[in-house]
Amino acid sequence: MEDDVNLIKRYLKGEEDCLRVLIDRYTSSIYNFTVRFIGPIYTPDIVQEIFIKVWKNLKNFDEDRSQFKTWLFIIARNSITDYYRKKKTVPFSYLGEDEFKEEEIEDNSILPDAVYQKLQDKEMLDKVLNELPENYRTVLTLYYQEDMTFKEIGEVLNKPLNTVKSYHLRAIILLKKLCTKS
Amino acid sequence: MDKDLSKLFKQAYNHPEGRLSDGVWRAIQVEQAKSLRIQSLSYSFLGILSLGGFVFMSFYLKNQFASSGFFQYVSLAFSDGNLFATYWKEYLLSLADSLPVASLGASFFLLSSMLISFKKAIHQYRSKLLAI
Repeated sequence: MEDDVNLIKRYLKGEEDCLRVLIDRYTSSIYNFTVRFIGPIYTPDIVQEIFIKVWKNLKNFDEDRSQFKTWLFIIARNSITDYYRKKKTVPFSYLGEDEFKEEEIEDNSILPDAVYQKLQDKEMLDKVLNELPENYRTVLTLYYQEDMTFKEIGEVLNKPLNTVKSYHLRAIILLKKLCTKS
Repeated sequence: MDKDLSKLFKQAYNHPEGRLSDGVWRAIQVEQAKSLRIQSLSYSFLGILSLGGFVFMSFYLKNQFASSGFFQYVSLAFSDGNLFATYWKEYLLSLADSLPVASLGASFFLLSSMLISFKKAIHQYRSKLLAI
């Protein structure tokens, strides 16, 4: 599989089909990410908007600064923020560091069997994920579904590595709580 | 846990209905055509504007040359060769002094702007035709 940077270089030299390959490669990822925030009705339009922005800014993509996938998700995140702004709600809301007390962060290395069983139901997982704050949802989606590293997720969220790690831990705790509640 | 959650989340992956990537590709092509249309129209407009400016500037430049005595200096060089040979330094200075530099600069600017705009407009129209 040809890497993204080569495809971009070839596209910028005039090989139109290379952009098509990139679109085919990432449409599902962007759809999956966007649908978690916007829902299935408007997501196709937002996905189109995201790729149009990518096409318009492809000349400005700097491979030394970030990977194409990370850059793509930054654009996706900004587009989702724009969508929320138009709807006048606050996306990727600031999460106060005091929201969780340190003592609440217990050992989360094992997800209880009962919780794991519950989460195996897709609808349940979707429901619980939708109840998580946007930043937590972003971390879980990008980490577990897109196999991105915490560092890359930090670039997408514009947050330091430790904050992302903390979001991840808190997201798991909250996931567990929400699952136990329901 | 990571591995388990990874498996769990992957099972809950949301896939788009139908071929969303085709829709995305079509949307980009529409945007591309729109952008080409706007660019070709803008370049054509700029080219025509520069052409008009250049024509106007040419007449103005001609008058400037006539009023500055430039043509008289030039004809002097051809009519009296000895005088030119003796006072060539002064002659060249006077000739340079009589040049309407600002108008010449403006004319060159308009000419190059016109040529670049038409070149770009032709390029955009060609790309548009190739896209069809």
